[in-house]
Amino acid sequence: MVIAEALTGTLLLLLGVVGLALCWRRRQPPKWHLRLAGWLGIAGGMAVYAHLWGAEAGIAYGSLALSVVAYAVVGAGIEFRAGPKRASREVALEPEERSTGWRRGIAKSLLAIVLSGIASIGVGVAIAVSMPMPAVDRIMLGGILVPVLWGAGMAWTLSDARLLRATILLTAVSAVSYGIAFLPKVVS
Amino acid sequence: MDQRVGAKRRKRIVFSSGFVRAVLAGHSALGLAFAALIYVVCLSGTLTVFLYEFQRWEQPDAPIVTAPPTPEVFNAAALAGYEQAIADKSAHDLFIVAPGTMTPRLIVSYHDHEANIEGHWIADAKGRLVARQHAPWSEFLTHLHTNLHLPHTWGLFLVGLTGVALLSSLVSGLLAHPRIFKDAFALRWGGSKRLQEADLHNRLGVWGLPFHIAVSLTGAMLGLSTLIVGVLALAAYDGDSGKAFSVLLGPRATEEETPAPLPDLAAMIRHVRSTKPDAEVVTIIIQHAAKTGQIVNLGMRTPGHLALSNAYYFKGDGTPIGDGGLESGSFGQQVLGAIQPLHFGWFGGLTVKILYGLLGLALTIVTHSGVTIWLARRRDKGRPAERWERIWAAVAWGQPLALAAAALIALVAAEPFILPVYLVCTLAAIALAVFMPSGDFTNRVLRFMSAALLFITVGVHGYMWGTRTIDMMAWGVSGAMLLAVLMLIVRRRSPAGTQNPDMAGQRQA
Repeated sequence: MVIAEALTGTLLLLLGVVGLALCWRRRQPPKWHLRLAGWLGIAGGMAVYAHLWGAEAGIAYGSLALSVVAYAVVGAGIEFRAGPKRASREVALEPEERSTGWRRGIAKSLLAIVLSGIASIGVGVAIAVSMPMPAVDRIMLGGILVPVLWGAGMAWTLSDARLLRATILLTAVSAVSYGIAFLPKVVS
Repeated sequence: MDQRVGAKRRKRIVFSSGFVRAVLAGHSALGLAFAALIYVVCLSGTLTVFLYEFQRWEQPDAPIVTAPPTPEVFNAAALAGYEQAIADKSAHDLFIVAPGTMTPRLIVSYHDHEANIEGHWIADAKGRLVARQHAPWSEFLTHLHTNLHLPHTWGLFLVGLTGVALLSSLVSGLLAHPRIFKDAFALRWGGSKRLQEADLHNRLGVWGLPFHIAVSLTGAMLGLSTLIVGVLALAAYDGDSGKAFSVLLGPRATEEETPAPLPDLAAMIRHVRSTKPDAEVVTIIIQHAAKTGQIVNLGMRTPGHLALSNAYYFKGDGTPIGDGGLESGSFGQQVLGAIQPLHFGWFGGLTVKILYGLLGLALTIVTHSGVTIWLARRRDKGRPAERWERIWAAVAWGQPLALAAAALIALVAAEPFILPVYLVCTLAAIALAVFMPSGDFTNRVLRFMSAALLFITVGVHGYMWGTRTIDMMAWGVSGAMLLAVLMLIVRRRSPAGTQNPDMAGQRQA
């Protein structure tokens, strides 16, 4: 019974992914009904997994299965090419050309790694200290936000050519967040 | 018609080419800066998913426990572990790992953090200690993944920072991918190397995204936890990190050191099962064992949850003092319970571990192809970075070589040689690359050497353990290693023209 239900869930995921593949591989504008059927198949597969193993574990298993099924569908549609061929539609955008130098590189690294880190830890700790929630909840919320904000800060500071803007904003965020985090201690 | 044009314009504004190019530049810079670290952490992490299987491969004559032990077996195991800890002068904290989802072994450990002495034993189905655990390569692999063999706190922080960089790369990679749906199934092999590698990078990256985000986020949280809790402790716990951690990890033993009997674990297990009859023991921790202030942290798992177990706390006399809510408590408690199993894939048996292995390998390939795309782009533009092509091939393919060498040394030599051999192989691969004619040649040579060394390792293991193996997992691991040998020696078809820089130049023209 468990195996049959798991196979049904996997089959629905496969049908959903194949539906999306049929939709997005076409050169013509995608057909909405194929796209809808694809997403419904994936949602249905997830629902079967959740029914079988409970929402928490089932969705985790379903996400793993979805990735592997999609890899299989991508692999099945592999296009082998014999010679160097580059149609114009395949040419990807180039990264922005920027003037680089040691000083700018160090400044960018400091912004992306150090200042983004200081600001994100500040925000995380401010939330862990001051949110009106049970202690474990606010600490975990703050803890999750630290890598997310740090990662976002890295992505932003490395993409943004204007260093001053990022410096000012991250410094301001750090000042406010550490103020919130340490204020209760200073006041008491 | 005007509305359609307007909609198209709005679409372009969301992902304008200027924005995409700026994000691509950031994605490229971050990827190149952290590539080697992310690669080593991803590859070692992929292998660490199978930590318990590797432990069984390294010691295949140790018993496995197939049926769930009775509660009394844990009393026997705790007593045996405590007596052994006294003999080893490290009777302080006791740990028991029960046979179950993670491993079919009953493992008893003890640790005295003041004396810095620890011991790990494998017990039989009756709780008797039968063999000291000896898995030096598995231990080496764990330390490589968690702290890169650096001093613990610094290594942990660096791995956490690598997790942040990976998470950031995933975000910027998504933002820099305006054709995410249109190209979701395109995998063009051959022709332009850059296009081939970009397709591989994007398809593996996009379709594995839930897994990639889950492991990078949880990895970053695990790695940065000491730093975050340290700052939190300064702000709210008088600088006492232990106090801050105890909010998350439950009550700690008190300093009452008067001798007391070991706790009755069987009674505690029965107490939990009186309300949760299907709960299975996963781990048991006895802090300050056989002292008046001892605390028991009983980890028991009920089906349908990601958490490895919920933590039930007891005083040494058996008085229950609450639970951690890791399975069905508040949002924060459930997240706390899910971090470790989600990171290592230890929540669903061997099937989930294999899926984690495949997706971990995909993430490793994504990291590898990211740098390859940059190198191919340079070549396409007529500015090939030949030295970097060789070095990157050496960094990437030197790792299987170094890990195989470490495994072989762990089998035939003493434990202190493992890390030096790994480092020498890693550095030798890079040094070798300097004398190689091309990156592609470096790649082939190192793959062949890795395959040969891995094959020898499997052979030596078979020779050493062949007749004494009682744990069938050892054959499974050896089989998987032979499969890896095959994958290493099968040559990937190179796209036409990539071997010859002149042709690449003509193509661009």
